[in-house]
This record gives sequence, structure tokens and C-alpha cells, in this order.
Amino acid sequence: MATPLREPAPARDRTTAGAPAPVPRRRTSRDVWTAALFFLAPAVVALLALRIIPTLSAVETSIPFGTDRALLSNFTYIFSDPDFLGSLRVTLLFSLVVNPIQIGLALALAVLLTKKLPAVGLWRTLILLPIAVPQAVSAIIWLVLMRPDGPLNGVANALGLPSVPWLVSPDVALASIVIVCSWVGVGYWMTFLVTGIRDIPTSLYEASSIDGANGWQQFRSITLPGLRRPLLFVLVADTVSNLLIFAPVRVLTQGGPQGSTNMIMYDISERAYTLGDTQAASAGTLVLVVIVVAIVAVQFRLLPGKD
Amino acid sequence: MAEHALRRERRTGNLSLLIAVPVAIVSIAPLLWALISSLRAGDEIFAHLYPLTWRTVVPESITLDNYIAVLTGPFAMSLVNSVIVAFFSVTIGLFVAAMAGFALAALDFPGRGAVFALMVVSFLIPFEAIAIPLSTSFRDWGLANTYAGLILPAIGNGLSIFLLRQFFLGIPKSLSEAARLDGLSWFGVFWRIYLPLSKAPLVGAGLILFVFQWQSFLWPLLIAPAPSVRVAPVAIADFAQEAGVDYGQMFAGAILASAIPLILLLLFQRQFTNSLASSGSKE
Repeated sequence: MATPLREPAPARDRTTAGAPAPVPRRRTSRDVWTAALFFLAPAVVALLALRIIPTLSAVETSIPFGTDRALLSNFTYIFSDPDFLGSLRVTLLFSLVVNPIQIGLALALAVLLTKKLPAVGLWRTLILLPIAVPQAVSAIIWLVLMRPDGPLNGVANALGLPSVPWLVSPDVALASIVIVCSWVGVGYWMTFLVTGIRDIPTSLYEASSIDGANGWQQFRSITLPGLRRPLLFVLVADTVSNLLIFAPVRVLTQGGPQGSTNMIMYDISERAYTLGDTQAASAGTLVLVVIVVAIVAVQFRLLPGKD
Repeated sequence: MAEHALRRERRTGNLSLLIAVPVAIVSIAPLLWALISSLRAGDEIFAHLYPLTWRTVVPESITLDNYIAVLTGPFAMSLVNSVIVAFFSVTIGLFVAAMAGFALAALDFPGRGAVFALMVVSFLIPFEAIAIPLSTSFRDWGLANTYAGLILPAIGNGLSIFLLRQFFLGIPKSLSEAARLDGLSWFGVFWRIYLPLSKAPLVGAGLILFVFQWQSFLWPLLIAPAPSVRVAPVAIADFAQEAGVDYGQMFAGAILASAIPLILLLLFQRQFTNSLASSGSKE
């Protein structure tokens, strides 16, 4: 599959074998083969070993071939386990909330920060900065910020608002994780969209403002269509990365309180390493891979434009 | 542009500041707070947190003790480990990705589509999703608690291969044909023509690999928990979950672990956004 399987066609005319100048086209094809093999081998080996084989090994672990157990027994088990079902529900709820928030904010900020405003580069850079902080580290900073007696509640009280049980109430904890992830992510996704907007020819905007189009009309008819490809990329990449959230859950809540933040990655890792149930963990891994691939496929279909 | 349109634009620009400035402040405030906390004596951090006073943001005295303690303690090793792992991930990963991108862009061979399809398929399977089964294999292969175990996942990064391939496709084939006729090997074409022309996308792909490694948390937690190879994010998380944690030192560690990518990001921001532009929206 990965490396060329067919030999290059042998030279038909062997009488020219000793000729000083071989026909360029035939010679090229042979050394292009060796060159392709040479240049591609490391990446292909790495991708096979680091992506394809572990996926297959998850299949092997989760499906008990050659035993008297039912082939799908690990899947029937996790799909009847309230903890796993809960993690699917929490992950779905989280995705439905966090993706529109992050992409909406990133798009709004990208539009805003490509307009003529004073020190625009400074604001863009400041908003991008949180991505430099490793997720686990930002989670720890927010762990202290969100303590019951922490600065966030200090600010809330100073504004005359009541304290918020950020990480200790099952009703609020998931929202707190949404805040932490968005703090990290919005500036990052915004950067892709800023770049996309800058690629749209300014003449389009100039022409439309001579025609009297207002900002909203320009956004609808110029910015959005022009941004289609970067927006699709951000949509897919953001959705996938939010499905895989691990560090904030592990550092901030450990899936609690009462399973309210038990997202699928955390659930799988708990199964594998705390409970030692590698079969259920592998089944969970495969469910996650199928969800990711399905979502990416649907999103590519939904948005028009393979140009 | 008509003068009234210009004036209108300036007015909306100033109004936009009303949104841009608060968002920028929200983005930077937690980091500033961590920075301020890292400069305080350990017992002072929580003294003024609640209720809010001006002392919350202005330390009574500034001290570098936390940084000195962190850099002379076991955390220093973790920071060094992170730098080593990131350095080799970026150089090896970039080299492997550039080679693959070059083959997929510059060489015409049957089966190129199939190889590219393999890249896309493995690109669809996110590394984190299969980290757990992969960590079992890595242990079997004797890679637990080694630098190799930490570095290898950055090799064959689908996104960086894709980014470089896109850029390489824009380099005229006539250039490499001419060089080939002059007797340059394919590796020569790659090394002397394609790479020197590709500084911006190489920086972009390098930053992607760097951020991937520097951000990495689940994988090092699984494969390299031993103190001798522990990376900075894991060390800080372990630190924060100890009983009687010294928050001043924890914040100093957090600031140090964030400072290195921050400096790289600020240095290379322009190339990064340029290379994203050439991959995202142009063919």
C-alpha cells in the first residue's frame, strides 16, 4: 500500500544498453522510483508505526479473536457502562457548546482585528499569547484562579456578584472547562482566520464600499465566501482537538464532580491506567477514532467547495 | 476612497478598540497574575487574593527566590528535558516531513496518490486518540522512559508534511529539471534548491512540531514518568498535586515553561502566519 509494489517497466530496447547517452525519459523513471523510495521511506514507516499499527492493535485488543467470547463483547460492555455512556454525553455536550463559542469568537475577533485600528498587531499578539502556555500549565494557573477563595471570585465579589463554585459544582464545572479551553484556543484559531482574511483582495472591499455596501453586507458577501477554506480547516481542527481534551480535565476536575466533566479521553485513560482494563480502553479508543473520522468526513461534506 | 468613508472607518476603528482591548486584557491577565505571583514570597500569594484589594496585583516586595529555588531544584532537569525533546523533535521531524513533502510534490511516480492517501488517513487519526494503545507498544519496544520514546511521535507529522508539500508544489519543476540535467542528484535538488526556497513554511512546520511537543502532556505522562526524563508540563502538574505545594515555585515553573514558546512565537510570528496563508487558502 505504502511503497511502490510494481517494478518499473524493464527497458525494451536492450541494444542501446551500452550507449553513452541513455534516453532521458526512461532513465528518469528508474531513478525517480529510487528517489521516491528514499525520500518517502522515513515518513511512511513512521506513519505506519505511529498511527496505523496502534489503531490495528486497538482492534486486536478489543476484539477477542479466537476465544469463546463474543467478538463485540468489549463494545457491548462499554456501551452498557453508565460511566462510559456518561463520558460520551459529556463530550457531546462539551463539543456542542465549546466549538460554536470558539469559532464564533475567533471569527468575530479576526474580522475586528483586520480592520484599521490603532496598534492592531499588539492586540492580535496579546490574544495569541495563551497558546504558548502548555495546556497542563494553563490548567494549573486556572486551578488557582478558580479556587473558592481565588481571584476570580474576588473579582466577582468586587463587582457585587456572588461567588461561583467554579470547579466544585456539577452544574458549573463543565462550563469552567469550556472557559479554560476557550482562553487557550480562541487566539490560536483567530490567527488562521486573520491570515485568511488578509488573503482576500482589498479591491473587493473597496469596490463594494463604493457601491454603498455596509459592514455586515461586506462580511456576508465577501469575507465569508473568501474565508471558506481556512474556516473549514478551523472547524475541523477545532472540533477534533476539543474531542481530545485531556490535560484540563485531569488537572482541574479529574472528571468530577459526579462525572460532570468526565470526557472521553479521560475516561479511556482511567480505564487503561487506573483500572487496568486495556480491553475496554481499546474499545473506547476505537469508538473515539470512529467519532473523529465520522465528524471530519461529515464536515468536509457539509461545507461546499472542493476547488 | 471617499473621504467620508475614511472618516467612518477611523470611527469604527476606535469603536473596535472597545472590544479589542478588553479581550486582550482577558487573554493576558491570567499570565500576568502568574508572573506577579511567581515574584512574590511563597506565603504572600494567598494573603491578598480574597477579597480583592490593590495588594492583589501589587506585590509587597519583588523576589527572585522562587526562580532560584526552581532552577536549582529537580525542575531544572525537566526544563532541560523539554528543550532536548523539542529540539530533536523539530529537527528530525522537519527533515522527515520535508523529504516526504518533496517526494509528493516534485517527483512524478505512479503510486504517489496512494502514498498521499496513506498520509491523509493517518492525518485523520489524531495522535492523542491512539496514544494509549501506542504506549503499550512503546513499552514492549523498550522505549519507556527514554528520550526516543518522547521524540518519535513527532516524526511523520501529517500536518507538517501537508504544509510543506503544498509549498513545494509551487516551486517550478523547470528549476529541478535544469538542475538534474546539470548533474545534481535528487537529494541535491532537495537540499540545495527546495529547502533554501522554503524558509517560511519550514518555520511554520517547525513551530507546529515544536508546539505539539511542548504542549504534549498525556503522552509523556504515559511513556516517561521517571524523574530523569520527565518533561516540564508533567513536572509542574505533579508539583501542583503534591501536598503542601509551594505556589510561588509552581508559578515560577509555569512562567519558565511558557517563556520559551512565547519567545519563539514572538520571533517567528510573521513567518508562521505567512506559511499558514500559503497552506490554508491558496493552491
